[in-house]
Amino acid sequence: MGGKVTCTLGEVKQRADFIVYWGGNPAECHPRHFTKYTIMQKSKFLPRGRKDRTMVLVDIRETKSAKAADIFLQVKPGKDFELITILRAMIKDQHVTDEQIAVTGLSREVLDDLVGRMKGAKFGCMFFGMGLSMTRGKHMNSAALLTLAAEMNAFTKFVAMPMRGHGNVTGADVIMRWQTGFPFGITFNRGYPRYNPGEFSTVDVLVRGDCDAAFIIGADPGATMPQPAIEHLKRIPTIVLDPHVTHTSRLSRVHITTAPQGIAAPGTAYRMDEIPLPLKPPLKSPYPTDEQVVRRINEAIAAKPFWMPEGSQPQMLTAQV
Amino acid sequence: MSLQVIDNATCTFCGCVCDDIQLHHDEVRIHEAKRACVLGTAWFLNHTAEKKHPDALVDGREASLDEAIEAAAALLHAADMPLVYGMSNTTCEAQKQCAALADQLGGLLDSHTSL
Repeated sequence: MGGKVTCTLGEVKQRADFIVYWGGNPAECHPRHFTKYTIMQKSKFLPRGRKDRTMVLVDIRETKSAKAADIFLQVKPGKDFELITILRAMIKDQHVTDEQIAVTGLSREVLDDLVGRMKGAKFGCMFFGMGLSMTRGKHMNSAALLTLAAEMNAFTKFVAMPMRGHGNVTGADVIMRWQTGFPFGITFNRGYPRYNPGEFSTVDVLVRGDCDAAFIIGADPGATMPQPAIEHLKRIPTIVLDPHVTHTSRLSRVHITTAPQGIAAPGTAYRMDEIPLPLKPPLKSPYPTDEQVVRRINEAIAAKPFWMPEGSQPQMLTAQV
Repeated sequence: MSLQVIDNATCTFCGCVCDDIQLHHDEVRIHEAKRACVLGTAWFLNHTAEKKHPDALVDGREASLDEAIEAAAALLHAADMPLVYGMSNTTCEAQKQCAALADQLGGLLDSHTSL
């Protein structure tokens, strides 16, 4: 689980009487999250369902999700880290000045009330979205919120969970952790995996122009990435695997059409709480699956000479003794 | 022709990965996705088993799968620092192959998470 203080959505459904959504808009982006896992569910421990649960929404603007919330906290844009840090101090009764609170756009009364409710909950869960993790502060915001969840456990049971979008992106984290020990931003250029987001993460690599070929699968950076990154993708040979001819396909050297996962390709996908679920594809595609194509590319490359000279490859400890 | 029904199908549009969807299909397209949300319904109904796109494109021209795989392997093998990126809309089995690809190329491996 990568050190997160977290749980499964099943536990949230059964037990969470205090639910915070931070920088996310589940009403529009994860429409069944409320009804399937969080506020609307009745359970053994929360028999009255919605009446037994409190929902707080923290966001920079009043989205559709605010209608479902009991408390809506409108934080000033880019001040999430400050707000989390203030909450971390307030739960421990440490001194926070009015000026420090004013920076977040909220009042002391509102935060006192929030801290009281957090400590009074039997089981609290904080879901955080891209509004927290992709704004000023980035992963430091996520780390601060996870720390707040961990520290709340001095008072009551508290967990945090990221709201993942994009289908099986959770699976990508899990598979990379399993195969390399790191969740993303990895390089193998010394023959063993190394991890350094900012140096080996895609946007940075492309904007700096570090890579000299790109293999894109199940993503469309041509439609989502900043322009300098797209310009670099145009300059280098790009290979795209996708069920459709995408923006990225149009600027690529090679496009291969594959069967869409879960619709015509079988396999496994991870839910946002890292529960693997089998796919049940109803249709038979005329195209091969991603797995078949990448496997064949792997075999074709394995038939060519290995990139590291003989004898210079990193050796296992057992091979050295 | 009557529609075939698949119970408890899994939707992979968003991170909720709802696994209680009932799909009604005629082997070419999905006509109904019961219990799916607006996003999930659009996801299921917009994909068909028809052959709408060419098998592969190499330098903008239609090519066979075998040619495209050879071209991809040659380009990746020739590169000094290839990048393997994405892996959101694909299965764990394919993701594992991608990790193996980056490993044997000595390249970069990254997902949407870092965006």
